[in-house]
Amino acid sequence: MTDRLVSKVLVLDNHPEHQDAIKRFCDEHGLVPLKVRKNRLMSVLRSNIDLGAIMYADDYGASAEENAEIALRIHTVRPELPIILRRETVATLDDVNESLRRVFCAAYTASDMSSLSKVIDEYIFSLVYPNALVRGISEITESVLASQFKNLTTRWDTPYIVRDRVIFGEVFSLIPLESAWCRGYMMLQTEEQPILESLDAYSPREGGASFRAVNNLLGEVTNLIWGAFKNRYVGDAANASSSQIQVPLIINHKHRYISFGTENPQLCFLYTLTDENTGNTIRLYQRFIFNLSWSPEDFKEIVNLSWSSRASSNCSNPLLKDD
Amino acid sequence: MAKILVVDDSSTVRDEVANFLKTNGLDVATAVDGKDGLSKVKADPGIKLVISDVNMPNMDGLTMVEKIRGELGNASVHVIMLTTESSPSMKERGKAAGIKGWIVKPFKGDAVLESFRKLAA
Repeated sequence: MTDRLVSKVLVLDNHPEHQDAIKRFCDEHGLVPLKVRKNRLMSVLRSNIDLGAIMYADDYGASAEENAEIALRIHTVRPELPIILRRETVATLDDVNESLRRVFCAAYTASDMSSLSKVIDEYIFSLVYPNALVRGISEITESVLASQFKNLTTRWDTPYIVRDRVIFGEVFSLIPLESAWCRGYMMLQTEEQPILESLDAYSPREGGASFRAVNNLLGEVTNLIWGAFKNRYVGDAANASSSQIQVPLIINHKHRYISFGTENPQLCFLYTLTDENTGNTIRLYQRFIFNLSWSPEDFKEIVNLSWSSRASSNCSNPLLKDD
Repeated sequence: MAKILVVDDSSTVRDEVANFLKTNGLDVATAVDGKDGLSKVKADPGIKLVISDVNMPNMDGLTMVEKIRGELGNASVHVIMLTTESSPSMKERGKAAGIKGWIVKPFKGDAVLESFRKLAA
């Protein structure tokens, strides 16, 4: 796994002359460009694709009117996604119609992408995530998943930054993370059916596994990751932030949307657990949302031993000494 | 035969630990939180070992142990914590309450059996 975070961007730009430059820019700046056919755009936007931003060309529509209409619809469907406008001559939004200007966060030209670089840093890579934290989360989670899904193989993608708020799957867990350097949540999202199939295959019960078994399993996975995170990065609870500030979390069932009250980009990991015998896969999305406090300059690891070696060392001498 | 009480709000862990102990020939009871665990220890003098989580609703594991010691004056029940927690302050609180062992999750049967054998020796 590389230490560099990436982010997926939807590129709505069909200008052949600029495609190479945009691709090169994406490669150099940790962006994963995604393309979609115009007739599928809205259905894709309504699904979960973990986007960081949208790069939109001012000639994407067949006419100026259609272009404006598409941009407005995108903004209506996914207002949390920054839309960056590529223009032909000027890298500003000053002369854009006022009703349309609010839809875009910034503009750039293909001839000078330096301004796009600043926009990406401002809207996508605005929070610094220490490499040790990103690497450690993957290690912790892989160990936990291996302990709870003993018959499955765990793989994970390069961690990435997302701005979208669409909920994946049918079941998710949330647990607060509180420390002197961070306050926020960890969220795990997954689909029910693949876990039910795995439970029925490897932990069969009379009548088959139910959604409650999935809930319990996801709860335990969440608990184990949370505990290991605390042990590795937080230490004694007494040293954690004593701030009582909270903000409401809003979950809109109809639109499968969750808001943590901030526009901060979220740190996302995708784990895929595969049953090598059947090909059955479980996808688990793990997001970290530090919506209440984020001070990476104060981040530190409590113990430098790897999580798995500490876990095994606990087995060798589990009894407390009387000294 | 001495009975072991497994206290955990997670049915996944409860079942895993209880099944492991049963397959090793041990007599096992379970409780869903500290409150339930406390009432079962009070009701059943056959329980000689408690394996408990720390973070649980209604009553946490450390409070349960303190109450076992305080309310029952019962020093004959050994307690081992099986938890994601490993902070020194919590372990100190556990030691003060007479906890004999502290095992960090995920559950590893060998560690629990080893503790059990040492306590039984």
